[in-house]
Amino acid sequence: MLKLLSLATAVIVWGLLSLTLPPEIFPGPIETARALWGDIAGGQVGLDLAMTLLRVVAGLVLALILGVPVGIVMGLNRRAEAVLDVWVMIGLTVPSLCYAIMAFMWFGLNEGAAIIAIAVTAAPSITINIWEGVKNVDTKLVAMARVFEASRPAIVRRVLLPQIFPYVMASARFGLGIIWKITVLVELIGRPNGVGFKLFYWYQLADMRQVLAWTLLFTIIMLLIELLILKPIEQRIFAWRPQVAV
Amino acid sequence: MNSVIEVASLRKSFKGRDGTSRAVLKDLDLAVGAGEFLCILGPSGCGKSTLLNVLAGLDKAYEGRACVSGGRVGYLFQEPRLLPWLTADGNLDFALASCRVPTSRWSELKSRYLAMTGLSEYRDYYPHQISGGMAQRLALVRALCVEPGILLMDEPFSGLDEITARRIRSDLLSIWEETRKTIVFVTHSAYEACFLADRILVMSGGAFRQEMRVPIARPRSYDDLAIFEFSRDVIKAFGDGIGREPVPSVIPVTEPSLVDDLDRHIAARMNI
Repeated sequence: MLKLLSLATAVIVWGLLSLTLPPEIFPGPIETARALWGDIAGGQVGLDLAMTLLRVVAGLVLALILGVPVGIVMGLNRRAEAVLDVWVMIGLTVPSLCYAIMAFMWFGLNEGAAIIAIAVTAAPSITINIWEGVKNVDTKLVAMARVFEASRPAIVRRVLLPQIFPYVMASARFGLGIIWKITVLVELIGRPNGVGFKLFYWYQLADMRQVLAWTLLFTIIMLLIELLILKPIEQRIFAWRPQVAV
Repeated sequence: MNSVIEVASLRKSFKGRDGTSRAVLKDLDLAVGAGEFLCILGPSGCGKSTLLNVLAGLDKAYEGRACVSGGRVGYLFQEPRLLPWLTADGNLDFALASCRVPTSRWSELKSRYLAMTGLSEYRDYYPHQISGGMAQRLALVRALCVEPGILLMDEPFSGLDEITARRIRSDLLSIWEETRKTIVFVTHSAYEACFLADRILVMSGGAFRQEMRVPIARPRSYDDLAIFEFSRDVIKAFGDGIGREPVPSVIPVTEPSLVDDLDRHIAARMNI
């Protein structure tokens, strides 16, 4: 209820702010929604949206594949931590635009290059999250498992991974937030379709109504993914955790 | 006597930050007989947990000999150390699977020890849903259901409230009387040691200072005055064991009043 109210307030604030500028420059929610509806009804949305989502998902999967193992190794091994620490910091510092340019220059203007650029940008943040998570692993539980003669693989699978998993889940969620922003940027400079491409296209035509319509569309989609897919998954997996009363 | 634990000239030292090494175990010799209930009594930092870790095989960096025979080792920690994402049943399964107990025996073993500790109805509860006392009892069930020959216990009841701890101590004694496992029980409470043990080893500064047999017949009652009397002797010996000279008292000795005695009685029970 409170969430709905808060959402309604955001829309109202948008409407009020839009009154301060001419509608061609800052359209309000109603006009934007109308433009968006026109796009959807005209059937121009599907391909671009699908391509963007594909890049987001592929980028996220690749980023997790790159970031999680490195984070785990850094958390478990002090020497690896010392060696990789600097790499992660460098990876984190280089702007996503640089990765995108490098990927397109080296691998060509293709889908693979786009996904690599997206994944490489997001991976360091995921690594840092997992690294912290592994460092927080309860070693007392590991000692307990050793007393019960659990084998090494069993300790990893049944004692360590369940403790690391919440951090993987959290990094997937916040990785998604980073990744869709990078995706739009990558599409703007190197792809012939997708939400980022469309945003830039309409920007060049100075059509703010369409720019905001596409922004709105993608925001709604991401919120739906968060609320309808990620939250329920998390709630199911972490049913064992005590409810924190807020 | 048929010893299941034999320790000879056991030494261990930790390296401090400044590179100096500090001896935590100084030439320990120890033999524990099959079916014996041994308590190791000492203040925090005296090395008793370190000794237990060596016996459990958790700590392999030591000098001397530490030999444990007579079956699997069960270990009860100061905290329950249950896996929070598994139910009570799942936690027991984890231990049984880790110890490679044949699956066909699981349900019998679990029911038996859950019943002994009154936890039969809590199989499907997660650790955060049960009280601290129940969690520790579940940890005891977990240690017992893998059928260890030797049970090592590291101050397992010191984190519990006194009433719960009393109940579990009695549970432990009746289980021990039924199964006759060898138990090495580490504690800092003299009263607890006197209630539980056949034999008490007083430890301080990484060495055993004194050995005492508990001359109290079983089954014992926690309120038995004999336990209190004996715990007083143990504490006295323990005080000398630390090596402090008794301070000559300047206060004229008066007859101990009833209240004073009661206080001490209570203090002894409350692990002070």
